[in-house]
Amino acid sequence: MNIVIVGATSAVAQSAIRIWAAGQHSFVLYGRNASELEKIAADARVRGAIEVTVHAGDIASVTYAQTAVANLSTTHIALIAHGSLTLSDRADTDTDYMASEINVNFTSAAAWAQLLANHMATHGGGSVAVISSVAGDRGRYSNHAYGAAKAGLSAYCSGLRARMWRRGVHVLTVKPGFIDTPMMAHVTKKGVLWATPEAIAQGIIRGIERKRNVVYLPKFWALILLAVKHVPESIFKRLKF
Amino acid sequence: MNPLSLDQPWGRGSAAVHKHHFAGDTPLPDSSWLPRGLGRSYGDVCVNDGGTLLHTFRQDRLIAFDTTTGVIECEAGASLADIAEVALRNGWFLPVTPGTRFVTVGGAIANDVHGKNHQHAGTFGRYVRSLTLRRSDSVSELKPGDALFSATVAGMGLTGLIERVRLQLIRVPGAGIVQQTKLFGRADALASVDEFLALEAASGDWPYTVGWIDTMHHRLRGVFFRGNHCRGDLAWHKPVPTTLALPIDMPGWLLRPWSAKAFNGAYFRAQSMNTAMQSELPLWQFFYPLDAVSAWNRAYGKRGFVQYQFVVPKAAARESVTQILTHLRTSNVASYLGVIKSFGDIRSPGLMSFPMPGVTVTVDIAAPAERELRALDRADAMVADVGGRVYPAKDSRMSSVMFKRFFPQWRELEALRDCNVSSSFWRRVTSDGSGK
Repeated sequence: MNIVIVGATSAVAQSAIRIWAAGQHSFVLYGRNASELEKIAADARVRGAIEVTVHAGDIASVTYAQTAVANLSTTHIALIAHGSLTLSDRADTDTDYMASEINVNFTSAAAWAQLLANHMATHGGGSVAVISSVAGDRGRYSNHAYGAAKAGLSAYCSGLRARMWRRGVHVLTVKPGFIDTPMMAHVTKKGVLWATPEAIAQGIIRGIERKRNVVYLPKFWALILLAVKHVPESIFKRLKF
Repeated sequence: MNPLSLDQPWGRGSAAVHKHHFAGDTPLPDSSWLPRGLGRSYGDVCVNDGGTLLHTFRQDRLIAFDTTTGVIECEAGASLADIAEVALRNGWFLPVTPGTRFVTVGGAIANDVHGKNHQHAGTFGRYVRSLTLRRSDSVSELKPGDALFSATVAGMGLTGLIERVRLQLIRVPGAGIVQQTKLFGRADALASVDEFLALEAASGDWPYTVGWIDTMHHRLRGVFFRGNHCRGDLAWHKPVPTTLALPIDMPGWLLRPWSAKAFNGAYFRAQSMNTAMQSELPLWQFFYPLDAVSAWNRAYGKRGFVQYQFVVPKAAARESVTQILTHLRTSNVASYLGVIKSFGDIRSPGLMSFPMPGVTVTVDIAAPAERELRALDRADAMVADVGGRVYPAKDSRMSSVMFKRFFPQWRELEALRDCNVSSSFWRRVTSDGSGK
């Protein structure tokens, strides 16, 4: 199969590439950091990937996404994994920052999803997996800007799924909780809520294989978010989490 | 695969405070840092209390694999688990492997690990074709023969950060192991060690040999294992994923001499009921039985454990092994999972490498208190008296005096140590010498 990864240097994307590589697929990887992409490509080849092409560029730019997808050949699976954990306090005072973060986390991700879904629809169908977040289920005190962008992305994917399923394209919304990425290593005492990037990647691959619509990873987040969504706003606004 | 805590060694039982940095982020920290892989070292060689740990877990990529020569190039944070899987698919395997595959290549070099095939293959460091070492003031590619290469192999991370490695693998027919087992130890302790050594000596065609011994039993009874690669089943190429995990720490009252006796006795009886002398099994099961349980170190409770491994030279082996183990038993030290094995005479390129021609014994001691620690100090002295040594990679308690008797060459490593690199272990064992 031909697999496209956007944001290939993210920890979850790298884990997914490793799992897929052993199954002898071909990859097209997009990311910002050329030298990191080359390392990931070499790693995938050693692990069994047939062909790996890398493209380094401004993946947060919609124009870049348009050109990239226009040049793609047949694609069976796409994983959109880029994103940026927005600092809420900075977004409070710096609206340029807030807008650019929403562009990365929402606009650009939605554009890639739309473009790749269109591309697959005209090339025999496929699966688009988009990494959103549990943070998108409700705007919270600690991550209003990030949560808003992910909420937009989840909503976009939900609509896109409805528009695309009759055209043979499966859209998977991935909602991970806390991920134990290297960036989070300063939290040395992690509770049971933390999952490894490998576990998230396995969940995504399973979701694609089983043509699921929305997956919470790990599953228990669905229950937590069910509770979070039902707290009355009058109480919710007083919670600092 | 996640360590329970980034601040503790695998043996737990100590509390340390670190700053955490990542290899690959430049520049290097400018004071007291220590490279750290997956933290599987039992003692404080992977701890740097009050300083910085430089984690290599983002530097874990495979770079190139020449499937005709069997040379694999990778970043130092790559795990032996990943290398073994990729290698096996192409008919190759690790030339030397420790008892867990969840260690990094960098860590395997830094501790110059050995395996069940030491007599035939030597240590891990012998298979390193080249490595890239980043020091506070330089980056260089080192080859066997370079002084800095010798100091880096078994150098416990102190010479700098290993970034990339080229490693020679070995050809294997498949993912299987033919294993034979035999019980030993019917007369007394001395005869038991003799019996084990005779079994090993009669296993020239078997690259892998090891013995499990019941160190709580007065006869030192045990089970001898030998193995060789075979084709095995195609389905064995992939290891069974680790799904078992110990969810809680074993309560301390369960970790007493009586329970160690019961545990060892149960293991021996299970083995003696297994009448099949020869079996074929996936190599994962043969090399890494404990990898099936993640966080198995919790079995030894919150207070952690010491894995005590010593080696004594060949000539003194049969008497001193018996003496030391009898000493530990009569001092009422609760020890689990005793392992005995001979080291061969293949030299390691590593300056501070642990193995020497002789016999090595490993025992796990849970939550050691004052009494156990004193008994181990006496055991250290017995090891030193016959010219043996204790394994630094597993140590958290040996005295500075003993360390310097075991490794008189430590000053050569100290001379080549990167001046900004340090570890809790190194400070402890060199404290009253000229070291930092």
